[in-house]
Amino acid sequence: MKIRKFALLVSVVGVCLLLLTLQARGYGASARDLLALVTTPVQAGVARAHRAAFGIWDTYRDWKNVRAENRRLRDDNQRLRVEALRVGETTDENRRLRRLLAFQERLPLKTLSGEVIARDWGGWIRSLTVNRGRGDHVPRLAAVISPEGLIGRIVDVRPGASIVQVLTDPASTVGAHVVRTRASGIVEGDPRGTLRFKYMARGGTGIEVGDVLVTSGQGALFPRGIPIGRVRVIDDRGSALFHYAVLEPAVNFARVDEVLLVTGDTRHDLATYFPTDG
Amino acid sequence: MRVLLALTVFGGSVAHATLAPALGIGGVTPDLPLIVVVLLALRRGPEFGCVAGFGAGLLQDAAGGGLIGVQALTKAVIGFVIGAAGSRLSVTQPLVQVPGLVLLTVAEGLVRFALLKVFRFPAAFGDVMLYVVLPQALYNGFLGAALVMGLAWFQSLRARAS
Repeated sequence: MKIRKFALLVSVVGVCLLLLTLQARGYGASARDLLALVTTPVQAGVARAHRAAFGIWDTYRDWKNVRAENRRLRDDNQRLRVEALRVGETTDENRRLRRLLAFQERLPLKTLSGEVIARDWGGWIRSLTVNRGRGDHVPRLAAVISPEGLIGRIVDVRPGASIVQVLTDPASTVGAHVVRTRASGIVEGDPRGTLRFKYMARGGTGIEVGDVLVTSGQGALFPRGIPIGRVRVIDDRGSALFHYAVLEPAVNFARVDEVLLVTGDTRHDLATYFPTDG
Repeated sequence: MRVLLALTVFGGSVAHATLAPALGIGGVTPDLPLIVVVLLALRRGPEFGCVAGFGAGLLQDAAGGGLIGVQALTKAVIGFVIGAAGSRLSVTQPLVQVPGLVLLTVAEGLVRFALLKVFRFPAAFGDVMLYVVLPQALYNGFLGAALVMGLAWFQSLRARAS
């Protein structure tokens, strides 16, 4: 009996190590696809239920406030507020989608719009799952943007969904430069969920709090000129070769619901298509 | 009952990526599948804990887009160890539950970090421990203890009703 228990543990550990080794050697795609067939529909369903649940909670809270203010009109208020919330939510969604569509039409790039259906926000990985996958011909490493700026890149394409590595993911790195001085460097994510800019401080390339950083376009992975963030704190390391700056991201990754996936040629300068105030 | 448990473990693990951010406090999210695996392993023994941990971890890996097998391995080992040691542990007190879950989360974090380092995980150990593992461990500890107390309360209500 004891041997059976340990045999089970050893088998499970063996399967895990085999899976990890296969992925390290580049054979992980089919296993991921198989699991995605199960996970993607469940995530989409849960995301829908989750949004609905929060809608009900907001409605309940508003109802309580109205009752305190005016007991006599409670029933009427409840009905009207539910109605108003529904309309407000629809209007808000419409506004967001219109803005995204207008932005998509303005861009000189081939893009595909997508909806965020899940988020992994634990710190080890910071990713979004988007409801566009292999059937939509999403290329791996495609840039993911919003009208505010860069969100990240596609790291895994599955049937029906893709995983976006967000800029704040500890493994994310993006070539960037400061709009004002053209000082270039690398924007990295870190486990705290913040963004930092690593750059070489040489004469005339210094940066200031408030400076705007955009993608440099080097490596042709991301189009040039997409806003990444704004310098919040400068970590001056004296005579060290590299200096660091903490950035305020241009996009609120936790609240983004709709995104654009850049599926075509990335050799464009998009600086004029984003509001950078820089 | 077994089907219900399987649905809880596996459905919960897939839903975790979608729902956990809503439970976040200051950017820290709990590892709900780990708590569920520990609670099930304590009640049902090492074999169940190991299989539940493997399944839950595998689906969490798949849903989150990380390396498939990392959390499957760590959670399977945790499920097995807790299941095997369960009969010798006194886990009815919050004074045991909170630090117990904190330690388990830290242990899981250490094993996970070591595994990921083999596959070139770039983050520094200190940062991961300070900003990811320890806050999550504390959250897991208190949330797990609250869940255990909630379950005990529910069972006592049911016993009184029958």
